[in-house]
Amino acid sequence: MKNGPTRREFGSGLALAGAMALGLRPAMAEIKEVRVAMIAPLSGLWARQGQLMRLGADMALEEINEKGGIKALGGAKMTVVVADAGDSTEKAKNAAQRVLAQNEDLVGGTGAWLSSFTLAVTEVTERAQLPWLTLSYSDLITNRGFKYIFQTSPTADRQAAETVPAALELAEKATGKRPKTVGILMDNTASPVSFAKPLREGGLEKLGLKLVVDQIFTPPLSDATPLIEKVRTTRPDFLLLPISIMPDNKLVLEKFDEFGLGKGRLPLVGNGAPLGSPELKKVIGPELLEGLLFSVADWPFKGQEELIERFKKRTGEPWMTQDSLTAYGDMWIFKEALEGAGAVDRAKVAEAIRAMNLTDGPAKSVFPGPIKFDDKGRREDVPLIFAQWQKGEPVTVFPIDLAFAKPYWLSS
Amino acid sequence: MKISTARQGWAILAVAVLVLLLSLLIRSAYYQLVLTQLLLWAVLSLAWNILCGYSGYFSFGHAAFWGLGAYTVALGMIHFDLTPWLGIPLAAIVGGLAGAVIGFPTFRLRGHYFALAMLAYPLATLYVFQWLGYQEISLPMKREAPVLYMQFADPRAYVVLALGLLVAALVVSLRVENSRFGKALLAIKQNEPAAEAAGIDTWRWKMRAITLSGALAGMAGGLYAVLLLVVTPESVFGMLVSAQPLILALFGGIGSLWGPLIGAVVLVPLAEGLNGELGDVLPGIQGVVYGAAIIAIILCAPEGVYWRLRDRFAKPRVEPRTTAKPAPALTIAPEARKVSGADLLVLRNIGISFGGLRALDSIDLVVGAGSLHGIIGPNGAGKTTLFNVVNGFLTPDAGSVSFAGAPLAGLRPNQVCRRGIGRTFQVVRAFPRMTVLENVIVGAFVGARDDIAAEQMARVALDRVGLADRAAAVAGGLTTRELRLMELARALAPQPRLILLDETLAGLGHDDLAGILGVIRQVRDEGVTVLIIEHTMQAMVQLVDEFSVLDHGRLIAAGRPDEIVRDRRVIEAYLGRRWMDRVADTVA
Repeated sequence: MKNGPTRREFGSGLALAGAMALGLRPAMAEIKEVRVAMIAPLSGLWARQGQLMRLGADMALEEINEKGGIKALGGAKMTVVVADAGDSTEKAKNAAQRVLAQNEDLVGGTGAWLSSFTLAVTEVTERAQLPWLTLSYSDLITNRGFKYIFQTSPTADRQAAETVPAALELAEKATGKRPKTVGILMDNTASPVSFAKPLREGGLEKLGLKLVVDQIFTPPLSDATPLIEKVRTTRPDFLLLPISIMPDNKLVLEKFDEFGLGKGRLPLVGNGAPLGSPELKKVIGPELLEGLLFSVADWPFKGQEELIERFKKRTGEPWMTQDSLTAYGDMWIFKEALEGAGAVDRAKVAEAIRAMNLTDGPAKSVFPGPIKFDDKGRREDVPLIFAQWQKGEPVTVFPIDLAFAKPYWLSS
Repeated sequence: MKISTARQGWAILAVAVLVLLLSLLIRSAYYQLVLTQLLLWAVLSLAWNILCGYSGYFSFGHAAFWGLGAYTVALGMIHFDLTPWLGIPLAAIVGGLAGAVIGFPTFRLRGHYFALAMLAYPLATLYVFQWLGYQEISLPMKREAPVLYMQFADPRAYVVLALGLLVAALVVSLRVENSRFGKALLAIKQNEPAAEAAGIDTWRWKMRAITLSGALAGMAGGLYAVLLLVVTPESVFGMLVSAQPLILALFGGIGSLWGPLIGAVVLVPLAEGLNGELGDVLPGIQGVVYGAAIIAIILCAPEGVYWRLRDRFAKPRVEPRTTAKPAPALTIAPEARKVSGADLLVLRNIGISFGGLRALDSIDLVVGAGSLHGIIGPNGAGKTTLFNVVNGFLTPDAGSVSFAGAPLAGLRPNQVCRRGIGRTFQVVRAFPRMTVLENVIVGAFVGARDDIAAEQMARVALDRVGLADRAAAVAGGLTTRELRLMELARALAPQPRLILLDETLAGLGHDDLAGILGVIRQVRDEGVTVLIIEHTMQAMVQLVDEFSVLDHGRLIAAGRPDEIVRDRRVIEAYLGRRWMDRVADTVA
């Protein structure tokens, strides 16, 4: 091996890195294109979620570019580099490393839907100092002291802490009576476990709730009868249902119906966007879902009517979900950040996101609450949204000012 | 054997240099990452190969070791601030312990049952870790002392670390392959009962193999955690993790040193390349292409790429004809020659039943030292069952077996073999992929201090049966006569005092028969007591000093050949009147 080229390459690499660090991109006025990454599961178990994200991102980019691109960069167009996170953390991490290696000019990215994937992906992006947006819920994502990660969703702990009080409030408003007993029926995968942990460890007690039935199962569920039997005999005022696996949800809801507890007779409260997916309706059917309430980071709310219509028309989807919505919003956040940064420069884009405090505009309109991140990269003052299945569609019912419909709460 | 070891050693060095060069040439951090993963999966596959490739005990559950290693490193760092520099060796220990704990109950099973039971371990562990609340854990980023915690900015550092593990795994595999350990495992793979009867403590070797395999897998899993930085039960205990080493080894060549590495070199970049190129264009297609590639290769090279290439390109191993290495000092066990007349093997009141069938009933049998004792009887009389009782495959319901004055009760076949009883089988149980010499060496391990002595003893045994010139031939290509002789040599190699020959003469032509009879007589003349089962009455009458006749599990007659052929009970039960008339003339 000769020394010459290697040294020269090394030298030029160093110079480039230096230039990037200082934000001295040569010939900035000629920038035609700014690129961000999207890493999402496009194959495997969660492929549908990745596809929904992609639909949202594509729509946002089309709108941004139609409206003249990034004005601060002379109208540069924004494009997205998409990579498949597949079905494992290893593939997700590889996708991140690949996208970064093959696209040195990336200014940011979003992904990778599943918390475990996001954790792996951000280990790479953090080291490359690439600002990264994510809708994943896990607290761990923003608990690692990372500086380039921005979590648009309320974290899992917060969602857990706020779901039950909000449900109580909702019940009280609807029935005039405050529930006194509660049950938990859940699987033991990552997100339900982190959701239920603070509740069990004193969270419910503090709210004056008695946990009368507490059932955990390991997916896949073969028969829900014994679980539902327990629920029926103890008969809590409402049941928390953090179940992340769709077929198991189906089994459980079918059993509830069979036992005469369906259609909201036993109020069910879940968590997470998959509980509002169009597939759920196809698989389980609207009757069994009727009345099911779930808390979620983001869901189409009042004021987004036009956006929702555009999306439905463009994609043929029956309604918009969290995944499309946040991916759409993330692109707009990057657009705003690039306008603020005025340069194709990761560090400056990150700085612009940190300094962001959007209370109106297209980016803000996508998310409940202002777009403002704290030191950890979490959004401040974000209300948790509740949606409820009503007549075959999950509609936002809480908070009231964002709601499309009134919640109902049947009680025995 | 020594030369090939040295050559393999150089090859390992060459691989290491090649990988280092490659990592210097590659500039992309992404390719460095893929290279690191390739090396780690190769290590896991090598670990799997040590147990499954050599011993033939398939494991669908190596994710258990990998995952325990990964969690050892991750939890050690999170809870005890333990650096991976110590965590990875600890992961190896945890993996090894897990191997022992898993092997202990699971080696009661064989074949598919073993494979299926192994499948359960990672799945069970997966749930345990979920239950413990370790659904997602992340190795903390150490900004202060990254190197101390194995967190490098330069991805090449990980290549070097993974390469270190790979070299370790290759060297370990090489040492296993070329030692008594590997021979024992290969013997187990090809014929476990034969291995056991040849004095190999199959249980001990299998336990050693799974412990070693678990340790290597745990070690690689530990570095995997450092590389990925995020550990979830699915990513380290999942089915895909268990399948990976199996696929790589099957593809590359199972039971070979290089197979797992070949598999990793081809398949890991292929899979990742497909993910990268097709993942966002036609999601899911990468799996289809990957699967098709594997199917194509398996169809073209069912035993794996390595064996296919070796069969095609490697020259057949020709061993220099050693001009009859005489080692007469070892030929005859001196104390064995002297004894004659004393009772060597004594069976008292032996009985055994299989369900309702009384296979052996109140058998009393005494074999004198230095004698050539024949057992005859019609099919199903219980002859082979009797051998199985003597050498420990079966435990009798009643009665006792003693050998040279000491009881054999409760001993496993390999321990019986150690006492000085060798045996052959009705259907020759050779190790077909080994050479004749290696087959016999396996038998010699029992009586040898070290591998060199074992080889010498094996050569002596081959000399004794007249098969020295076929030492380098592969057992799979031998004639029936040669196979019988080889099996005899294997039984003789550890210099037993008694050998049990189970229908050694069956299926031989007239000329072959005469040769083997000569060899058996010679063995007896050298002082080894011989107990032989046979159907070929004519040959037996010429051969043995004494007869025992079995019928329906009972001993119906015993005595000298000329007495036996005249015994009415024997004639009725076994020989038939016509035969008697004929033999009565010739033998009388």
